[in-house]
Amino acid sequence: MSDDKILFNSGSLEEFSDEMWKMSESEESKLKLGPDNADSGLAKLVLTLVELIRKLVEKQAMRRVDGGSLSDDEIERLGETLMKLEMKMEELKKHFNLTDRDLNISLGPLGDLM
Amino acid sequence: MKLLIYALLLIKNSLEETNEILAGCDTSDKNLQIIAIDKIGAIVGNFEGDLIADKAKAIEFAKEIEVLSNQFTLLPVRFGSLMVSTEAILDLLNKNSKEIQNNLLHVENRYEFGLKVMCDSSALKSSLVENSGLVVNSSHAKNLENPNSVYRNWLEDKLKEHRLEELVLNYVDTVIKEITEAIEILGATAKFKKMVSEKTIIDAVFLLAKDQKNEMVDTIIQFQKKYINLMFILTGPWPPYNFVELTLK
Repeated sequence: MSDDKILFNSGSLEEFSDEMWKMSESEESKLKLGPDNADSGLAKLVLTLVELIRKLVEKQAMRRVDGGSLSDDEIERLGETLMKLEMKMEELKKHFNLTDRDLNISLGPLGDLM
Repeated sequence: MKLLIYALLLIKNSLEETNEILAGCDTSDKNLQIIAIDKIGAIVGNFEGDLIADKAKAIEFAKEIEVLSNQFTLLPVRFGSLMVSTEAILDLLNKNSKEIQNNLLHVENRYEFGLKVMCDSSALKSSLVENSGLVVNSSHAKNLENPNSVYRNWLEDKLKEHRLEELVLNYVDTVIKEITEAIEILGATAKFKKMVSEKTIIDAVFLLAKDQKNEMVDTIIQFQKKYINLMFILTGPWPPYNFVELTLK
């Protein structure tokens, strides 16, 4: 982007350009499925969906805890379940050599999934 | 030889006059020409060989569209839209004339502007917690009978994160609401994406009348004065890339 296109910038150009660079890198996180990478592509797709659902469940659980409607016992079990889910997810990511960034696939004009 | 489509446009004057203006824009010798039916036309250039969709070529294509957008109100077409013949383009224009015309009327005499609002994420969170008086550390997850439960402590940490996230989201929504109100006065249309990254909390595009550019800049300067912990970056004018809602048949 040429400088004359920047109409107002209160920070440094370098900071802006670094951020743009990072954002363009996230374009790389688009799901790439092809004959040569069907296994890893499928693992990425499945884990992305699992992670999305896990995060939604976690968010809903936090809302309920915050709402104060759960008993001590329910909170204890919820904590155990969510913690174990997170640990299992970490294991799976490690197994398939995937990072959080890999699972946050780009949905093009809609932005990132998570 | 194939034809590469650059943009679609409304032909306001005669086709000859429009072609003359176009000739002045053709700085890179691409033999740009207009293929038209009635008042709708496609700006095309000759294309030989295979299309290689690399970054440099895409930038070159975007530059050409930018030069054209200074002269015409147009709908930019995605890089790589190749057609085999003039007849194929006429057929395309014919099948989509109504949708093209509606889109062109929507962007008529307007430019796109981009706004990114960035922040130091941890500094913003600290200041929000401080100003809101939110008690992040106390929660329903704490069990006084068993304060050392691993699960409860884990849940407590997650709850802190969750509350902070909600706090930031509410703050971002407030900023978006204020920006929306301010730009509505200028008659602009806006599209917002929030929390694009940890640093970029708002990524917005505006469609605004060409003569309102300075007012837009002034508006953003006022926001910067109000939100000193945020960094506002306004760019443009751009062709209306994000305001073309058209799926060609």
